[in-house]
Amino acid sequence: MGSLLNIQGLTVAYDSRSGPVTAVDHVNLELKQDEFLAVVGESGCGKSTLSLSVIGLLPKPPAKIVEGSIQYKDTDLVRLSGNKIREYRGTEIAMIFQEPLTSLSPVYRVGDQIAEAILVRELRKDGKGGVESEIMQRTYKRSARQLRRMVRLRHGIPSDLREEVIRYLRLVRIGDPEQVLNRYPFELSGGMTQRVMIAMALSQEPALLLADEPTTALDVTTQAQVLKLMKELIRKVRTSILLVTHDLAVASQVADRVVVMYAGEIAEDADVISLFSHPLHPYTQGLLSCIPSGYKDESELKPISGSLPDLRSLPVGCRYAPRCPRVMDVCNKQHPQLIQQGKTQKVSCFLYDQHN
Amino acid sequence: MLRTENLTKYFPIRKGFNPFLRREQRFVRAVDGVSISVQKGKTAAIVGESGCGKTTLARTIGLMTKPTGGKLYFEEKEIVEGKIDRRLIYRNMQMVYQDPESSLDPRMKIGRSIGEPLYGLMKWEKKVVNQAVTRSLELVGLSADFAERLPRQLSGGQKQRVAIARAIAIQPSLVILDEPTSALDASVQAQILKLLLDLQKEFNLTYILITHNIAVAKYMADFVAVMYAGNLVEYGPCKTVISKPRHPYTIALITSAPVPDPTTRNLLQTEIKGEVPSAIDPPSGCKFHPRCPFAEAICTSTVPPLEELSSGHLVACHFVNKTA
Repeated sequence: MGSLLNIQGLTVAYDSRSGPVTAVDHVNLELKQDEFLAVVGESGCGKSTLSLSVIGLLPKPPAKIVEGSIQYKDTDLVRLSGNKIREYRGTEIAMIFQEPLTSLSPVYRVGDQIAEAILVRELRKDGKGGVESEIMQRTYKRSARQLRRMVRLRHGIPSDLREEVIRYLRLVRIGDPEQVLNRYPFELSGGMTQRVMIAMALSQEPALLLADEPTTALDVTTQAQVLKLMKELIRKVRTSILLVTHDLAVASQVADRVVVMYAGEIAEDADVISLFSHPLHPYTQGLLSCIPSGYKDESELKPISGSLPDLRSLPVGCRYAPRCPRVMDVCNKQHPQLIQQGKTQKVSCFLYDQHN
Repeated sequence: MLRTENLTKYFPIRKGFNPFLRREQRFVRAVDGVSISVQKGKTAAIVGESGCGKTTLARTIGLMTKPTGGKLYFEEKEIVEGKIDRRLIYRNMQMVYQDPESSLDPRMKIGRSIGEPLYGLMKWEKKVVNQAVTRSLELVGLSADFAERLPRQLSGGQKQRVAIARAIAIQPSLVILDEPTSALDASVQAQILKLLLDLQKEFNLTYILITHNIAVAKYMADFVAVMYAGNLVEYGPCKTVISKPRHPYTIALITSAPVPDPTTRNLLQTEIKGEVPSAIDPPSGCKFHPRCPFAEAICTSTVPPLEELSSGHLVACHFVNKTA
């Protein structure tokens, strides 16, 4: 299996009044075909910035890709111009966000929004060129206009398109798709809107699906349903998924491989079984012991001391050194590199560096 | 210590302005007859999903909203609206909220935020108040100079510590914790949970913990109450409820909660369908029946009573023997 996405030395900085803040710092990440990868970290670790830079949605300014490359199949997404990246955004690379209600338009019916997405895909498939080409622009504008007129005159969606929409709504396990497609987003519950979002993303038959905290706003029983669905889809539709989450437990349940981030850097990168059976980085170990698992009086939590570092004034050596229980002299002076440990595990910690 | 009997809280829905449309008054049945009791020095966790009424129950117990029915006993005395001095109750009962950001006045120094209730409730002198502020800051692991800072200078975890400091400054016997850690990061959540347990041991505090997180409830509680659509569906000692849940909803809730273990992927085995029902027109009979795998005709017509299975373990289900 080849790699679908290959991020090399990606560095993203945000301009602020007190100078640039580096949110993602020299991150190397590889995503293989048909892989379910989870990026885990606490707030401010750069996990969302990472996913936004893949799909080209970083707010520029203040954000800026300082260096590095994001190789998707054969193209470097970083070097693509704003128009060219549109060929990939939402089509080959689709994204699901945390708040489904804010990512759907409140004034169109759910079915029409999915229909529009399918229309765009069909045009793309017909070989009318990329979105930036003139023909594509015109056709797209015209058909969007037609669609909008149809919606306005209450003619509804053309029947073949309607069937397609229903097929995708069925795919995401919506019970009565004929009813749901005539609803507005605010008439649906949180779990339902998130399913609609997933249906919309999938209608593009994306090769890569980015999911930024897709279940954080949902209840646990709904979260379980949505995650189960995503796990099934990877087999059915053959997309690779990059899941961004703050919840290690969620990652352990669905991912094949987990990347743990801390203060803009990758602390550990391992397959899911190794990461949870023998975590190497002290931060991963700390995070795992932070999850309450036992009963009262029987188990004790061992919280990580201290708090997350300020990205404006990071320590010189290892960024985790001030909170690390196994800190050594070298940790405060030098910066650790990500090194291979065993077949499937990489860690950025001096404890595993043979040279020290 | 604290007991509720058939407590209800209905919120009326505003009728439209059209006088010709005479509709009958409808209600959101946020809390629909809940009876629980909490023993001194113990923690009772109320778990459930959003909209199940757990926060409304906490606010009703905390006397912040008037219950529409039922009785509330605090230290064996019935609390009747209008007949009781709230200040006396609040000397013994305090609350910590979910969002530390909005529970502190952004323009008030931390010391004043903690000290203010002490003047009003306890009528203490300034010197005594200042001592109490310093002491409670130290108890939650913050140095005394935090008293001079403003909330914006603090991190989320520190703000939640301040909120806890304010609650315990008065030395209450009961603290209501409404989702105290759900706005916090994993590493900070662990610190706060540990702090809460340490404080409980030191002062023999009683906690009512509202949470949607089963793992937190399991770690913190002695008793667990599971709520669904305004009703109590299961109540009992923490270990019994978590390890041998009997109500189908509790079972679904526990298997849906992700466990950090890739070798047992419980989450992918859940069979639960559908979502939490509307609290305005809840399903008839047992409110869980549209989602329940065991539902039969009786479930749609008759509300199952809470019945005792073993000592202290109550379940409201017609088919408890099926779930064993």
